[in-house]
Amino acid sequence: MSIRPILSALLRNKTGAILVAVQIALTLAVVVNSIYIIVQRIEKIGRPTGIDEANIFMVNTQNYTRDFPYEATIREDLAYLNGLPGVVAATTINAIPLSGGGSSTAYFNAPGGKGEGVPGNYFEVTERGIDALGIHLSSGRGFSAAVIRPPMQRTSEFVPEIIVTRDVAKQLFPDTEPLGKTVYSQLSQPARIVGIIDHMHGSWTGWDKVGNVVLHPVTDCCKRISYLVRTKPGDRDRLMPIVEAKLIKTSGRVVNSVRTLGFYKDRSYSDDRNMAIFLSVVIVLLIAIASLGIFGLATFNVQSRTKQIGTRRAIGARRRDIVQYFLVENWLITTSGIVGGCVLALAVGYWLSMHFELPRLDLYYLVGGVFGLWLVGQLATLLPARRASRVPPAVATRTV
Amino acid sequence: MLSYNLHLACASYRRNPTLTGLVAGAIAIGIAVCTITLTLYHALSNNPIWWKNDQLYAVTIDSWDPERPDNDKHPERPPPQLTYKDALALLKSDIPVHKVAMFKSTRVLDAGKADAKVKRMDTRVTTGDFFRAFDVPFLYGGPWNAAADQSPEPVVVISKEVNEKTFGGINSVGRTVRLDDRDFRIVGVLDTWRPAPTYYDLNNGSLENPEDIYIPFAWGEALELESAGNTNCWKSEQINSFKDFTNSECVWIQFWAEFSSKADHNRFQSWLDGYAKDQKKLGRFPRPLNNHLYNVDEWLAFNEVVTKDNRVLVGLAFMFLAVCVVNTVGLLLAKFLSAASLSGLRRALGASRRDIFQQHLVEVIVLGLAGGLLGLILSALGLWGLRLMFASDFDQYASLTHMDPTMMSAAILLSLLAGIAAGLYPAWRIGRIQPATYLKTQ
Repeated sequence: MSIRPILSALLRNKTGAILVAVQIALTLAVVVNSIYIIVQRIEKIGRPTGIDEANIFMVNTQNYTRDFPYEATIREDLAYLNGLPGVVAATTINAIPLSGGGSSTAYFNAPGGKGEGVPGNYFEVTERGIDALGIHLSSGRGFSAAVIRPPMQRTSEFVPEIIVTRDVAKQLFPDTEPLGKTVYSQLSQPARIVGIIDHMHGSWTGWDKVGNVVLHPVTDCCKRISYLVRTKPGDRDRLMPIVEAKLIKTSGRVVNSVRTLGFYKDRSYSDDRNMAIFLSVVIVLLIAIASLGIFGLATFNVQSRTKQIGTRRAIGARRRDIVQYFLVENWLITTSGIVGGCVLALAVGYWLSMHFELPRLDLYYLVGGVFGLWLVGQLATLLPARRASRVPPAVATRTV
Repeated sequence: MLSYNLHLACASYRRNPTLTGLVAGAIAIGIAVCTITLTLYHALSNNPIWWKNDQLYAVTIDSWDPERPDNDKHPERPPPQLTYKDALALLKSDIPVHKVAMFKSTRVLDAGKADAKVKRMDTRVTTGDFFRAFDVPFLYGGPWNAAADQSPEPVVVISKEVNEKTFGGINSVGRTVRLDDRDFRIVGVLDTWRPAPTYYDLNNGSLENPEDIYIPFAWGEALELESAGNTNCWKSEQINSFKDFTNSECVWIQFWAEFSSKADHNRFQSWLDGYAKDQKKLGRFPRPLNNHLYNVDEWLAFNEVVTKDNRVLVGLAFMFLAVCVVNTVGLLLAKFLSAASLSGLRRALGASRRDIFQQHLVEVIVLGLAGGLLGLILSALGLWGLRLMFASDFDQYASLTHMDPTMMSAAILLSLLAGIAAGLYPAWRIGRIQPATYLKTQ
């Protein structure tokens, strides 16, 4: 099949083809960049957190009477929670992982540290902390009960030992084995690294150092006390109301909320999730509209060329030749749109990366988009083309 | 003439309802996508107290680390909050008409009713000027006076919701509520007040609900209250007591000032610089002098309330609308040309090219408006869907997804422009056809 006659027929009636090509170009630019953004968001949401998210819930309490016996209450609560059938482990914790709220401080690999230090999002947990979070220690050990600081009001006192993620360890000691090393606080107080966590996400999911997590052996205190409870698989939802009902009985305090860790995680990622959903809807609508445009043009062309098609059929063209004609015509139009679309897509990608600090568009997505639009164009043309192929040769003789 | 053109347009719509529907549908979808993204953008960039944009300023002092700025990406910006001791010092200035020093805390509310559960409440610890500076509406009573801020007096302002839940909505001024373990006398009950975004404190998101309980600022120190918002510290210093904390370089107090004139604003700026210079002499504020007063618009930009995602969405939505418009051009061309013989006839009977052009432009404008209206309905549906998606996350989302008259007129204007943009070429084209071509075969 020769492209020449198709091209010359196209050039004779350019307007419709140009309109479709422009649509294809814009569609390619929007779709490719949107998909790229969506994939990044999905990857971000799906990153492993290192925490046993599915089986953890939080109990947030607040006491409000003078001389509330927080020390005894914490001891009782922890004993109750850790003894509850179905609970793997429970700990007090100063902030909720993945929730967007937390504390951070700087750690130094030498005393009197000047300059940056390594920022660490720290969590204060008891000796059950590792088990409660469900995180994996790749080397070293957890905290012993003896080292856990008892509940205490405000203090600048540092801790004797800490557990850090591998991310933190690498930043503090890029060249040597970090286990057993001493790190220093801003006030040059020393602490020994006794354990290395494989991987754990901290509080701020949007932070580029979300994996910079440090555990301190401290019992969270005193006014607002939160417990992080990890259950056996399947027991979480059953235990939540039971725990709430029990803790609510203590006088002088309220249970602010009992929520799954997933609740906080979902909330933290809601912007990313919504962006992905919104863009997906836009993509679907856009492709539908572009296909409609292609379909409309092909239908229009078939209608206005009925007589010519009949003539071609009468002088020996097969039905598949007719189908092929329209498919090739569409391919030419789509391709010209794609050429413009590639330039546009790269321009949009550049704009996004310059102004919105998104990574530069990955070219694989462009290649995928090109093939995708070729397919969409061919599919949208197929129906009108087959209708064209059913034009009987006799049409050629009917009028004139 | 217009009515005749409208009549012709109606006849044309009836002749080819499918194509007509497609044109209106394409415009509607484009408008809907644009309107939804613009509504979100508009709501977030909304200044809820625009009438005070020249009077109300967030006050900042660069008290940060000499080694690095508070915000690495924007080193020119001072930290958004003040230290406690600076807030106290600024409260002494008599240049502003209103001075607001505040932070967010939580208190446990006990209304003293046996059947009502004690409950944790978000509480704002603030100077009484809060209500005056931010024009907070009162249902009963009013703000506490300056004396109550000083001593501090056990007075409280409660929200309308709390008043309804604990007192059944009656005028509860003069009654007491228990906050933690202390009685507070109610001096005011707020009316509904939901500024969105919550410009006055953007530490914990921009769509939070305003607090339910308000108590005088001095209670912060008296009760050793900590911030439930955001506390940031840079300096290595011993903090072993609340006293150490209030003396530290940690920033956690939001500070606003309202001025009655531009001159006062300038006077306060130089007063602030003078204060910072004095403190520098005492060895504080190691960074270069960088004290800023931000009006609400600038403050919303400073805190990046409109996110990058919002901007990207608006950009992509307009590209989407462009596709819809181009698509509509094609559809209109097909529609007009399929009825070209009628135009040919009109031309042969004496209608000018302009008449034909006008006839089709009217047809397109009406279609564009119909598409716009349909688009408005679609956007309302889309926003309703968004509200459902977000409802559990933020109570304030309703205000975000609310289409105000500005947005509605913008949507209609947009659809009109889109209709005209799509229709100009097809209408021009149909005006240029040779009548003879279409009369020959009859």
